[in-house]
Amino acid sequence: MIVLGKVALGIAGVAAAGVGLICSEGMIEVNMVERQPEAHHVYVLAPAAVVPMAVHFIPSHEFGHASAELQPWMPTIRAALDQLREVDDVTLVDVTEPGQHVVVAKKGGSVVVDVNDRDETVHVSAPIRAISSTIEQVAAASHDSPN
Amino acid sequence: MRKGLQSLAAVCLSAAMVAGTAPTVLAAPAERYLHIKVDDPSKGESVNVNVPLSMAEKILPTVNKGSLHNGHVTIGKADLNDVDVRAILDALRTAQDNEFVAVKEKDQEVRVAKSNGNIIVHVRDSGKEGQKVDVTVPMKVVDALLSTAKENELDVAAALRALSDAGDALLVTVQDATQHVRIWVDSHNTQD
Repeated sequence: MIVLGKVALGIAGVAAAGVGLICSEGMIEVNMVERQPEAHHVYVLAPAAVVPMAVHFIPSHEFGHASAELQPWMPTIRAALDQLREVDDVTLVDVTEPGQHVVVAKKGGSVVVDVNDRDETVHVSAPIRAISSTIEQVAAASHDSPN
Repeated sequence: MRKGLQSLAAVCLSAAMVAGTAPTVLAAPAERYLHIKVDDPSKGESVNVNVPLSMAEKILPTVNKGSLHNGHVTIGKADLNDVDVRAILDALRTAQDNEFVAVKEKDQEVRVAKSNGNIIVHVRDSGKEGQKVDVTVPMKVVDALLSTAKENELDVAAALRALSDAGDALLVTVQDATQHVRIWVDSHNTQD
């Protein structure tokens, strides 16, 4: 009985450590509410660490020219994301048009995009570390691609 | 024994003084932001952009496209009808405070002056659009632009650094019949 208890504790410990590891890079949150013609609501909350892992399993040719086009801009993207991590929270862009409002901000360690228009409301929040890892993976795919 | 105690007290006092002053010495300078605000009340449109200057300083040298390389912009004389921008800026830099250009036409007035360490450009167009343009550039920024050794280059990255070190400044305002544009630098991360 005691051995079983120890095994159960071990499994629970490994599971907790796994969850902790997966959630260590924060969570990606997508919340989309369609207003017309029928109200649809999509809500996704996923561990950010999963995305770069998932990208790793996508065949490199699936990225098309994206990887090659990203390559020359990688120093700029790296500098931008590194600096974004360093700076205080800030609303980077706020655009208002009749019937539409778009906000791109840095909040905590995440980039947050909010789009509010007549038809839908979209909220996306992604940790900067996860964005960085994902872009690095996509850019690296150009080295792996056969052409 | 007494000398030892005195030495210990002196060391403790010095440590306390260093500890007391350390936060002020090591305190990071406040982040500076470049703000851009475009309002068009007639269309109900507005665009607000807030860029941390430290971010712009780090990003700019990484962009190598067109005439922009490593934070320097190359000026082709052909693009400017053989006007030597560098020579003009250098002349302005070394000149005393003065009004250098004052052009008055029927519908337009242009003034370029140097005042209190700034280059100031005013354009007033009383035509149909009724445009007013005011540009103020701190001389430190002009100096930084010219800090590169190459004749046909301006050091934009250095200018950004200089802008970061300069005080709060309203750099550009453009007002016409429908639109209002403001570009300024301060330590606030919002436009309020």
